[in-house]
Amino acid sequence: MRERSRRLFHPESDIVTDVITRLKPDSRAASRGLSDLTIRNLFIIPTIAFLIIFNVFPLLYSLWTSFTDFRASTTAPANWIGLANYRELLNDPFIWRNFTITAKYVIISVTGQVVVGFGLAMLLNRAIPFKGLVTTLLLLPMMLSMAVVGLFWKLLYDPSFGIINYFLGLGKFEWLADPQVALWAVAIVDIWMWSPFVMLLSLAGLSAVPKHLYEAAEIDRAGPFYTFFRITLPLVAPILMIAIIFRTMEAFKTFDHAYILSSQPTTELIAIRLYKMAFLEWQTGLSSAFAYIVLIMVVAITNIYVKYLNRAKAR
Amino acid sequence: MRSYACRLLAGAAVLALWAPSANAQELTIFWAEWDPANYLQELVNEYEEETGVMVTVETTPWQDFQTKAFTEFNARGNAYDMIVGDSQWLGAASEGGHYVDLTEFFKEHDLGNVMAPATVKYYAEYPGNSGKFWAIPAEGDAVGWSYRKDWFEDPEEMKAFEAKYGYPLAAPQTWQQLIDIAEFFHRPDENRYGIAIYTDNSYDGLVMGVENALFSYGADLGDYETYEVEGILNSDQAVEALEAYRQLYQYTPPGWSKTFFVENNQAITEGLAAMSMNYFAFFPALVNPATNPNAENTGFFANPAGPDGDQFAALGGQGISIVSYSDNIDEAYKFLEWFIQDDVQKRWAELGGYTAHAKTLESDEFRNATPYNEAFYQTMFKVKDFWAVPEYAELLTAANQRLYPYVVGGEGSAKEVLDALAEDWKETFKKYGRTN
Amino acid sequence: MAEVKTKSEVVMNRVAIVAVFVALIIMLTPIYWIASTAFKPRSLATTVPPTVMFEPTLTPFAKLFVRRSQMREPVEQEVYEAAPWWEKLIYDDGENVVRNRRSGDITPSGYADRYKNSLIISIISTFLAVSMGTLTAYGFSRFKVKGEQDWLFFILSTRMLPPVVVAIPMFLMYRTVGLHDTHLGLIILYTAFNLSFAVWIMKGFIDEIPKEYEEAALVDGYTRLQAFWKIVLPEALTGIAATAVFCFIIAWNEYAFALMMTNRNAQTAPPYIPSQVGSGLPDWSVIAAGAFLFLLPVAIFTFLLRNHLLRGMSFGAIRK
Repeated sequence: MRERSRRLFHPESDIVTDVITRLKPDSRAASRGLSDLTIRNLFIIPTIAFLIIFNVFPLLYSLWTSFTDFRASTTAPANWIGLANYRELLNDPFIWRNFTITAKYVIISVTGQVVVGFGLAMLLNRAIPFKGLVTTLLLLPMMLSMAVVGLFWKLLYDPSFGIINYFLGLGKFEWLADPQVALWAVAIVDIWMWSPFVMLLSLAGLSAVPKHLYEAAEIDRAGPFYTFFRITLPLVAPILMIAIIFRTMEAFKTFDHAYILSSQPTTELIAIRLYKMAFLEWQTGLSSAFAYIVLIMVVAITNIYVKYLNRAKAR
Repeated sequence: MRSYACRLLAGAAVLALWAPSANAQELTIFWAEWDPANYLQELVNEYEEETGVMVTVETTPWQDFQTKAFTEFNARGNAYDMIVGDSQWLGAASEGGHYVDLTEFFKEHDLGNVMAPATVKYYAEYPGNSGKFWAIPAEGDAVGWSYRKDWFEDPEEMKAFEAKYGYPLAAPQTWQQLIDIAEFFHRPDENRYGIAIYTDNSYDGLVMGVENALFSYGADLGDYETYEVEGILNSDQAVEALEAYRQLYQYTPPGWSKTFFVENNQAITEGLAAMSMNYFAFFPALVNPATNPNAENTGFFANPAGPDGDQFAALGGQGISIVSYSDNIDEAYKFLEWFIQDDVQKRWAELGGYTAHAKTLESDEFRNATPYNEAFYQTMFKVKDFWAVPEYAELLTAANQRLYPYVVGGEGSAKEVLDALAEDWKETFKKYGRTN
Repeated sequence: MAEVKTKSEVVMNRVAIVAVFVALIIMLTPIYWIASTAFKPRSLATTVPPTVMFEPTLTPFAKLFVRRSQMREPVEQEVYEAAPWWEKLIYDDGENVVRNRRSGDITPSGYADRYKNSLIISIISTFLAVSMGTLTAYGFSRFKVKGEQDWLFFILSTRMLPPVVVAIPMFLMYRTVGLHDTHLGLIILYTAFNLSFAVWIMKGFIDEIPKEYEEAALVDGYTRLQAFWKIVLPEALTGIAATAVFCFIIAWNEYAFALMMTNRNAQTAPPYIPSQVGSGLPDWSVIAAGAFLFLLPVAIFTFLLRNHLLRGMSFGAIRK
């Protein structure tokens, strides 16, 4: 039900536009300028069209390739092999290990980012000196290129050349060489790099919570936990959920810095395996099938998140 | 109207025919971004002086080199006229129709004898022993070793070593000596370690490292003609070799779990290790005092021999091929004719390129030009390579998956690992119809 | 109305300040390390143990912009004397400069060109993504759209596939259309994948702005467009600032497509900066210098927008 706004006859309106708008079937005679419908279409259609043009071809191409044995390094024709690629992948224990490793990684990384990012936002959402400068400084980790981050963190983690062991007095502790620690080491880099993202969005959400709600709660003698869980969190939840959705999607796609940091079997994320399959082994058909399996998974997970988001918005 | 249209068409045709001639004066060679590419650019500038044809060496970082090259091939792009491709690409590129068949060129210029035989076999010929050639060996390379001469020549050390092991301390000639010396110099409390080896399993680092042990112990990766791996890859010698490599890993600096040419050179420049394996292509950086504070004290030796006296090293290096989608194939041929001349190859070596030209390699001038050239010359006649079939990367992936946990993590035994790998490879070869 | 700060609030503030300080140290140490490495001479960049105190030098920056090669013989005295200070730095550090054969000029390294490309491509694509994204978000937020949730999910899904998979078809598409190695090609590409992001974030912010404001404006005689321009946009400024910062960062640092879709003409800086690694001995200080300089525009851009990023949205009595 679109709410129609009631318009009064405005003395400065152009008689001509008045007549024209009167003839428009959709708008009330009183609205001037473009109709809501036109605006809606003008605002939405270009974006949608643009995205469709851009994504349709690659998506269809990959889908088609996933049913063939195509290899992009040769000129040999692609043969239709149906679901063979999918079967090969789902029967490969190494692939399943990639999935579990990535799942573990996503959970560690996104949780870390949210805890650190949101925590920082809570800290910054007060009257502290130089807030603007501090916020910009805290955003710096996010501003570096992934490849640079990977290269330098590899150096930082090195027991001989790196400052982490040096400053923390950890001696010869092996971050990247130890198979169990390596995944955490990669996740730490991710958390370091992307908590600012969550922080910024949370901060924007937090600073939008009306002060009078807090004042009312204080008058009512509400404790900090009550204030947080009943007032703050629900109001920030929509923006926070969006941040979580995007970070989760990106975490599944993690490649650049993980590839540079570690090549342990225990840190082989999906995107790394996918890259090797597609660009080192040139098994284009197989990698497309792999990508679609991952896509289905991500779609399913994101769907759940979006439902949460909508629930958070409905309050 | 008709005559007008005809004239228009004629004009357009003239323009169309005319325009390409402007491009014919330029050639593009694609290579990875490293010093040899800089040297090549200097060399081809001389070609421009002679002929007026401008040649540009376009580069991209090593990790992206293969991706960019094959994506361009797949799109049948003409961005590159020639490419200095890895030896492993021969199968994929020739079967994919991306390289121009240079067999005639080879026969015409007798390149089989002009270039060192090992280089011809591995950089140019595919399939093995087929007599078909696809690249001109351009940059010869193999794995060699650098070491800290000053540590080795210290009288105290020499005394202690001889006392413990019963023979004088010197650059190792056998793998057993290599292991002994690594053990001797491994002193974690002093922040000094025995050895630096390749362990990067994201592509071919680890496998190349293991190959050095494998080949010298008398084992092989398989039969390159019949694609049989059983009994060869997991032979007793192979098991011994892999165990030796694992032992060496124990003497590496901490955190040595993803190392390739960068880290291994750093092991010497930062004084971390007594010995370090690396491709000869990266040794110039070690003799330059500006990049290596220990340059004066850095010596080199070829990959040692195994217990049975076999001595081989893993092959690196690239050959220059003509891309079949190039618009300037004739011009490229002319360039190659210039490139293979004796004096040009000599000049190439002078500038720093690792020529594969047999006569230049054998010359005293070359062998004495740098501290490592002698080792290089010896090695280039004793090299072996990995599989060059189009599916080589899948073979690499399987090898990485099996070898890495054992070498770096100590999981399983060498026999188990090699048996499992032989199974993996057998399956891959069956998948591609190489065996039944 | 005077704000009375309770004692506990003051204490909490102090605790928060300390906590923020600690967080700053943890988050910024790696960045500080990169920045300080950028001013180290080559020999000090990777030492065992790491070098914390040193005398800064501008040599890495000089090297960054010049194409260099190994020094095989010492440089001639006259050439050295005649060289400007930055060139001398390079010779002092043991490297030679590559000169253009014909003109004798020093060959630039390509960093400056790529930096310029990055600026052009990122600024334009960010502007496009944010504008289109805001408009679309408004459309979805305020108007009824059939299958709205599905369209929004579709927009979200454009970011779900890893670039690896999309790379080959995109490459082929671009080659066919002639967008390969062009500025326009990358601009379109970056706009496309920042759009999904921009739409979702902006919708999140616009949804929070009460519709009552616009309704009131419309009653007062504003058109829908005017209400959008005068009422909604200012309220959404925080969202726009945040979106602009993120989109710029994503476009600025994008690596995979910049590598695949461009060559000499339009390549941006990210694929280039790590490329110093590979000559057998990477010059870490030059890489750090390249990364440091590359960080500056983003940092400055964010700093300029900081007030907009922190400005909350002002709500009057209308808030439910």
